[in-house]
Amino acid sequence: MGPMYVQTLSLRHFRTYARLELELPPAPVLLLGENAQGKTSLLEAIAYLAMGRSPLTTTERHLINWSAVEGGAPFAVVSADVAYRERRERIEIALQQTPTAGGERLGKRIRINGHPVRRADLAGHLNVVLFLPEDVRLVGGPPADRRRHLDDLLSQVSAEYVRALSRYRTALSRRNALLKHLRDEGGDTAQLLPLETALAEAGLFISLQRRACLHHLTRLADEYHRRITGGAWLRLHYRPSFDPLRPTEEAARQPPLFEALEDPPPREALLAAYRQRFEAMRTQEVTRGVTLIGPHRDEIRFIAEAVDLGTFGSRGQQRSAVLALHIAELAWLREMTGEAPLLLLDEVLAELDVARRHRLLDLIGSVEQTILATTDAEMFPAAFRRQALRLRVEGGIITPL
Amino acid sequence: MESIALPASVTELMEALSELPGIGPKTASRLAFYLLRGHAELALKLADALHDLVEKTRFCSVCYNVTEEDPCPICSDEGRDHKTLCVVEEPLDLLAIERTGQYNGLYHVLHGALAPLDGIFAEDLRIKELEARVRAGGIEEIILATNPTSEGDYTASYLLTRLKPLGVRITRLGRGLPIGGDLEYADAMTLTRALEGRREMEG
Ligand SMILES: [Zn+2]
Repeated sequence: MGPMYVQTLSLRHFRTYARLELELPPAPVLLLGENAQGKTSLLEAIAYLAMGRSPLTTTERHLINWSAVEGGAPFAVVSADVAYRERRERIEIALQQTPTAGGERLGKRIRINGHPVRRADLAGHLNVVLFLPEDVRLVGGPPADRRRHLDDLLSQVSAEYVRALSRYRTALSRRNALLKHLRDEGGDTAQLLPLETALAEAGLFISLQRRACLHHLTRLADEYHRRITGGAWLRLHYRPSFDPLRPTEEAARQPPLFEALEDPPPREALLAAYRQRFEAMRTQEVTRGVTLIGPHRDEIRFIAEAVDLGTFGSRGQQRSAVLALHIAELAWLREMTGEAPLLLLDEVLAELDVARRHRLLDLIGSVEQTILATTDAEMFPAAFRRQALRLRVEGGIITPL
Repeated sequence: MESIALPASVTELMEALSELPGIGPKTASRLAFYLLRGHAELALKLADALHDLVEKTRFCSVCYNVTEEDPCPICSDEGRDHKTLCVVEEPLDLLAIERTGQYNGLYHVLHGALAPLDGIFAEDLRIKELEARVRAGGIEEIILATNPTSEGDYTASYLLTRLKPLGVRITRLGRGLPIGGDLEYADAMTLTRALEGRREMEG
């Protein structure tokens, strides 16, 4: 892979956009416009192609511009030509509403160079780091948001991770439905066993990948955090709901041992520990009708100077931690893929002081393509504005300035 | 679907048709009017077939395949190998395996696969009956020929945990079947290869 950038972007019926055909240079791009005109949606569209899901919603029908649909089956299409050093690829995701026996169904079709692929196959094709103003809420918000954020990052580079997540979700929803049935109607508990094997296998893979990723991220984020805060250390603390590396309750209360990664116990032993834990939890889980352990219950905390920022951090501290995390993500993607990802920044500069703004502009200089959305171009130094492509975004229509 | 413009006999047919899986109200009304508009012969043929379906056919009390006589012709065929049992989800899967002409054992039809999300659990399938058949003795190998889908695999794994203690050889169809597809749509050549390539399942 070579330096990567989005060369053309086209949208049909996506969010605010009825139709958009846009050519982009391997340089900074400034999107200027008032709020709710389509700046964020454009960044979202590119992130959608990178991750295979929107970082802004879990309800994909919200992506369709219903008012732009003129008759026929409602649909939305996002596609981009991505340029690499020596080749080009076309990535496309299409959503289409189709009637079925049981009502409407939203179909999703992903293609790379015209060939239909699965979501997992998107991994490694287009990598982005997205900075959103509301990301500051990651630190103190619900744990599911932090898990999803980490999953989106890992999903960009590892098809195996995407497949494991999907296997895990299927087995989890089946097991939860079965647990409720066993609680309400009774039945053979041996039906749980194949699902527990599936959960243990996928869950083990997911938690080891998350652990390894956080191990790198925390090192990188700490470095940037010290720089932007004048020396305060930062740690991303992974707290798995069940740690197969430390299967006993007492050991699980200790902070995770990252050294354990170098020499993890054999897989069979870890899987056996997982299954034993399920067995020990069985009565409790049947009573509750829900699966209580596994990656879907993992927690990630932001700790700075021994203070949990999620609970006790000021908004300013949380902002620094998220900025450090995003910069760490960029470095991590570069380490993993050997290439700089795209930077997508939404109104981020407004929240930063001058020193941090300059660090961010340095960062932009280190990647092939950055797309920045802002209401105020004056925020950027004149020299920066001159070298950037400036586009006006108004009501889902884009015009060069 | 109440309407004063249409006689009850037509709306009743439309309603009945739209209760079939995969048929929406639009298709139901198209089918109803097709039969109404000069296809009387076809309509009566359908009526007879539906009548016979209810009156004459039932499930074989041994293998649970659809049959007009009980036990079914396969179960009562002395020329077949009564030591081998092939477990399938649906009668159409049985038909697909019969079409290969390469299998000479008996069958057991589960009538579905485990699908907790759709409310289908072990007690909803003919699993108790399968276990009783194996316990009665005389069976040496069970071929689990559930579909190569995630539900089919789940069902096969569950059957393995349930049947393994009974001391029979348990095998699963070999690779080569299109993943996520149904057995009934697989061609005879592919199915024959999957049968020949069956391998012992590990718990
Ligand atoms: Zn029979």
